[in-house]
Amino acid sequence: MNTTGIPLKDPAVSAAAGDTEQLERAYIDASTRVPVLMFYTSAIAWLIVGTVLAMVVSFKLHSPDLLSGISFITWGRLRPAHMNVMVYGWASMAGMGTAVWLMARLCRVTLRFPLLLAAGAVFWNVGVLIGVGAILLGDSTGFQWLEFPRYVAVILFVAYTLMASWAVLMFRYRRGDQIYITQWYLLGAFLWFPWLYAAGQLMLFVVPVQGVLQSAVTWWYANNLLFLWFGAIALGTAYYMIPKVIGRPVYSYHLATIGFWTYALFSSWTGMTRLVDGPFPAWMITASIAATILTMIPVATVGLNHHLTMQGYFPLMRYSPTLRFTVFGAMSYTVFSIIGVLISLRSVASYVNFTQVSIAYTHLGLYAFFTMTIFGSMYYIVPRLVGREWRYGSLIKLHFWASAYGIGLMTLMLLAGGFLQGANLENPGLPFSESIESVLPYLRGRSLAGILLTVSHFIFAYHFGLMLLGLGRTSTVPTFLNPVEAETSGGH
Amino acid sequence: MKGLAPLFLGIFGTFAFSWVGLTVIPNWQIGSLNPQSDEEGTEIYPRPQSGMFARGGHVYAANGCVYCHSQQVRADYIADDIERKWGNRRSAPRDYIFERPVFLGKMRMGQDLANIGARAPAPEESPAPASAAALPAPAQAASPSSGTPPATAPGTSPASAGSPNASPPPGQRTGIASPSPGQMANATPGGSSPAAPSAQTPSAPWPIQTAGLPPMYSAAWHHVHLYAPRSINPDSNMPAYRFLYEKRRIAGERSAEALQLSGSDAPPQGWEVVPTYDAKCVVAYLMGLNQSHPLKDVRSAGGAPATGGASPPAVQGASPAPAAGGSPAAPK
Repeated sequence: MNTTGIPLKDPAVSAAAGDTEQLERAYIDASTRVPVLMFYTSAIAWLIVGTVLAMVVSFKLHSPDLLSGISFITWGRLRPAHMNVMVYGWASMAGMGTAVWLMARLCRVTLRFPLLLAAGAVFWNVGVLIGVGAILLGDSTGFQWLEFPRYVAVILFVAYTLMASWAVLMFRYRRGDQIYITQWYLLGAFLWFPWLYAAGQLMLFVVPVQGVLQSAVTWWYANNLLFLWFGAIALGTAYYMIPKVIGRPVYSYHLATIGFWTYALFSSWTGMTRLVDGPFPAWMITASIAATILTMIPVATVGLNHHLTMQGYFPLMRYSPTLRFTVFGAMSYTVFSIIGVLISLRSVASYVNFTQVSIAYTHLGLYAFFTMTIFGSMYYIVPRLVGREWRYGSLIKLHFWASAYGIGLMTLMLLAGGFLQGANLENPGLPFSESIESVLPYLRGRSLAGILLTVSHFIFAYHFGLMLLGLGRTSTVPTFLNPVEAETSGGH
Repeated sequence: MKGLAPLFLGIFGTFAFSWVGLTVIPNWQIGSLNPQSDEEGTEIYPRPQSGMFARGGHVYAANGCVYCHSQQVRADYIADDIERKWGNRRSAPRDYIFERPVFLGKMRMGQDLANIGARAPAPEESPAPASAAALPAPAQAASPSSGTPPATAPGTSPASAGSPNASPPPGQRTGIASPSPGQMANATPGGSSPAAPSAQTPSAPWPIQTAGLPPMYSAAWHHVHLYAPRSINPDSNMPAYRFLYEKRRIAGERSAEALQLSGSDAPPQGWEVVPTYDAKCVVAYLMGLNQSHPLKDVRSAGGAPATGGASPPAVQGASPAPAAGGSPAAPK
């Protein structure tokens, strides 16, 4: 084992040792099969539901009479339904699937207590299902990102406790002293989420805080969910996948340490940037803006670390689906953070605070950064669970480009439209309706981007379905995006 | 990284730091504000709202109004919310102490609703002279003290604006601060009554409307707007909330509540459209949204019409009271 502690593909010289390791890894992978596939399958089902909801939401925003007049498909219910399906159904479950697999691999023990996970997954699905139903039937709490009613929160919390206790138990039974970078992030995510969720529920429903503080708690929760839960999982995944696929240790452990702790420290303080100039003590907002600016430190260190790890290996993105998705996600993390800093500055926020720009920002974080990274990890993990390789390289390619162009177009449309909307909003000479009129063409463009994303998700779901049914390729060589020339080894 | 203890402690510590910093400390600072009142305790703002208002808030939440409508007015030196007549002063934490859930909002695909109730046309008797006097009082009183931002305890109003003497009584809680006599004339906007006594009624700053429809921002107008938004504004992209209304055959006499619809939205002959209880509640909620009452925490904005002399006092961009709560981090 090399010093980084990452189980790299061993060089061919130590063939015997390599075989044991391979075997061991195969055992571990096999032990994670049922729980991880459970998470992935549910996640992808939710992804499809959320995508369909997103399309309707997007079209209704610029064509308000579409499917109107029916309570449970009115825009104001579909929108939170879409958001919650994506956040709690797709992103959380997919993230947990990847985290579980990584945890087992990095603890280097076969997965124990699979029942905890299976039960957790079932409860979680039930919770999301009831929660979305409740939102559509008009039982939303009205707190953004926490629309699920209280009884659903209880179910989710029970489900989550099962999974978090699994993670801690696994960690307890790990082999080896080294704790790899990915494990810091994953442990952080597994522990932060329940505290976050409990704190949010407690301060909004059990011992509710007064007045505007409800909003402060809501956005504190939302941003921390974005950073400490989704962001942490995605960064941890990238720290595993990039070195793994290119077969090279992470460039610097020290950079990684700095990146991790500054990330935990600063990104957890950013919530109030959603409320710039709102009715709050100014110090709260200023502190969040300062923290947002300071998140440039983890962005720079993590970005630099990945870049230096990748240096000389970028051509591998031509072949490896995992690498391509993961690097896209890691780069999006930088873009997401820079835009986050820009729109949190008071001078900019006074223009864009109440516009589509905030939607663009959330999608950059949850899709371009998190979801793309998780797609990458799925392309790596699923073949190891089902014992088959992905059937069509072309479908993976299509998935990637539809997703990449889709989210790119969507972000551009929402940013451009949002800035225009904000500029018109802050021009008292123009009537209010002008600001809406000006953003509508961009919203139509966003719907177009939504079609691309829909296509990409259906392709992915179909491909995943084939894998699940055992219709993947039987081959010792992973599926590459492009035919590999003679000696290029590449990973998968 | 070796050793689990530092990792766990660090993970817990960073989280606890942010939790305490962004939720617990603010909760100490502005988490238990009281309504402000004058010495006699007659002029209390804000007041707890009616049951219909509360239920209307849930209808508002259930149907996702918050995803397009904000309820916060930013200060005039930051944004042009006040110039857009969305309020006559910026919103302050005290405005929301009875709101649950609170709908500050993050999007303006529709207008800001913080003062939608205040924009309703005044009821029969005009509260003109009294309420017109109410507005400038705090604004004028604020200017002498503006040079000395109060460094007093959180929750203390800056300069307790209503007080005739310019020097703020240190440490005085807003709840019992002395108001200006002028404020007392203002009727209370409590309850779901549309009697919102906008201080601005005399000069009619908000457009008063239009042929064939109920007066703008009246309860009847809100019903028509919710039922058929594009019958009022053809460019509106608000969804229609027809499921909050009931179309029924007129039994005997036409109901007094029936909506005044025209054109293609109108029900056929012999039918009428009446609001359900939820619709009445959400309109009661909208009519109850009113931050026009002066707050001692906040100076009311310049643009106040009707009575001159209330030009923006030269407050140096200071944030309102809560910001003065002793944070070195306060900007500017």
